Amino acid sequence: MTNSSPGAAGPVAGADGHPGEDLLASYAAGTAGTVTVWSVEAHLTGCARCRSALSAHVDAERLAHNRSVLLVRAAIGDGSRVRRVLRRCGLPDHVLGLLAATPSLRRSWLLSVMGVLAVVAGEAAAVRYGWITAGSPGRIPGYPGQNLAPFLLVGPLLVLAGVAAAFLPMFDPACRLAAAAPFSGFALLLARSVSALAAALVPVAAAAFLLPGPGWLPVALMLPSLALSALALAAATALPPRAAAVMAAILWTVPALLLAVDDVPLLIVQRNAQFGCAATLCACAVVLVARHDRLESGWMRWP
Amino acid sequence: MDEMALNVSTAAVRAEGLSRRYGATRALDGVDIALERGITGLLGPNGAGKTTLLSILATVNEPDAGRVSAFGLDPGHAAERVEIRRRLGYLPQELGYHRHFTVAAFLDYVAILKEITDRRRRAEEVARVLAAVGLEDRARSRIRALSGGMRQRLGIAQALLGEPDLLILDEPTAGLDPEQRLRFRELLSSLPGDPVTVLSTHQADDIAAICPHVVVLLKGQMHFAGTPAELAAAAAGRVWAAGERDDRAHLSWRGGDNRWRHIGDHPPTGAELVSPTVEDGYLMLSHTAGAR
Ligand SMILES: Nc1ncnc2c1ncn2[C@@H]1O[C@H](COP(=O)(O)OP(=O)(O)OP(=O)(O)O)[C@@H](O)[C@H]1O
Ligand SMILES: [Mg+2]
Ligand SMILES: [Zn+2]
Repeated sequence: MTNSSPGAAGPVAGADGHPGEDLLASYAAGTAGTVTVWSVEAHLTGCARCRSALSAHVDAERLAHNRSVLLVRAAIGDGSRVRRVLRRCGLPDHVLGLLAATPSLRRSWLLSVMGVLAVVAGEAAAVRYGWITAGSPGRIPGYPGQNLAPFLLVGPLLVLAGVAAAFLPMFDPACRLAAAAPFSGFALLLARSVSALAAALVPVAAAAFLLPGPGWLPVALMLPSLALSALALAAATALPPRAAAVMAAILWTVPALLLAVDDVPLLIVQRNAQFGCAATLCACAVVLVARHDRLESGWMRWP
Repeated sequence: MDEMALNVSTAAVRAEGLSRRYGATRALDGVDIALERGITGLLGPNGAGKTTLLSILATVNEPDAGRVSAFGLDPGHAAERVEIRRRLGYLPQELGYHRHFTVAAFLDYVAILKEITDRRRRAEEVARVLAAVGLEDRARSRIRALSGGMRQRLGIAQALLGEPDLLILDEPTAGLDPEQRLRFRELLSSLPGDPVTVLSTHQADDIAAICPHVVVLLKGQMHFAGTPAELAAAAAGRVWAAGERDDRAHLSWRGGDNRWRHIGDHPPTGAELVSPTVEDGYLMLSHTAGAR
């Protein structure tokens, strides 16, 4: 997008690929437009020749200032590859910068999620192909999905954990700073939670797709995962955030375990359960709209 | 309305009747404070309630009772609270860091939290505050690789982002070496725009050096508000230097010159009266308040 503005790539790169003298002069004097400044700086970061050419145009103080800003820009960097791709997709850079501090978007977190998924999915495959046996002795023979019990329990909980890590203050080492900043309200919380939700749903849905199980399983997991995350957020408007997340986890774990013991684990994502999740999601959305100012991460009672 | 109350009601930032309890602990008990433009120092022993008071002024903690007003804005209202935060720089006593961030990336992140959305402006601000605390050459270091004092300077740097109008620093000089402490004093005294600044410290010489106003908090209550000279004067005529320890004195300690310094009402034998420092005044005050 920035590249399409006039005066970006064209005038910056002279015939030999370096910015011309006029351009360096206007950059040095601070009269160049933002886009031009940007591309000149991008070039200067990597070109010693132009950096020394620039020094002819500026007084020492301004040069030192420009130099330190350049160094800082280089130190801040462009962020991860994912961040660069998302930026190119048109997401505002500063929003992506906020997400960088979300633990459940870090590679180590996502790798552990995949590790857990590999274990439960592997278990499901092993049972399905008869490498190991599972389930209670009196299981109803032939009922589908008995091998899926661990996965059905863990999948939505992993999504919930990702969202909880995105909004619980205990996962943000600098939460006191975030609390005292203007950009600390519901918007920040929602941006973090939604991105964590999206990031966790991808591996969970992929695992559900790869598992030997019903083909509709990846889709059927969406609504429960969304409902659990929304429930945790909505409950956090009334309860301490950690208690809210734990409560949502229990509300999933207990029925999932009971159905697994009854050898009908798939019921947790079938018809009635889907209706229940849809209703929960709607109710939580209403609560969040009505009470979102209670979720502001500052003005809270420590601890 | 008496003169004191009038004075309080015209200050840029003020709080009246602040109380805050944690369970059975009364961290703050009816505190009134008025902050003018310029630097106010906050003195008090461990557990006096300094951090609690500063966190309430910084809009991250809510008082049980009392009112706060900053530039005429009330942090009790969500919209006005955000408005205060737009003008605020805050260094919490225990600032956590994202340890895997680089110094520059951390400051960039805080600058985003402070709503500086333009990337170039952010880089300029980050460069400015890094230079202010002398960390320019550590911009690329990971935070976990910094020394404790450097981390403290990084904390000061983030508070300066966006040229705040209200600067709240909770023990900013803790862990700084002597040279950096001098540098910090110089930095604070030369801030552009003369912001309302309040800092807590255990070092009375910080106060004497840079704070035109000083406030003493003891057990959640305000015990003194005035100039450093007035605080020192609280111990006038009661500070003695002598060759030996004196058991009748309120406090006796050995100074660097191998002589004993006493605060007390009676001169120890062979003692000479010395002129009190801010620290003497503070010790005197906390002793008499503790005795009551
Ligand atoms: N989150 C909390 N939970 C329970 N008690 C607390 C909490 N925060 C503070 N307190 C109590 O409130 C009182 C005041 O604490 P505060 O941290 O404000 O003191 P302080 O003056 O900053 O002390 P220090 O000089 O050690 O930093 C103390 O008795 C402390 O134990
Ligand atoms: Mg404290
Ligand atoms: Zn060049």
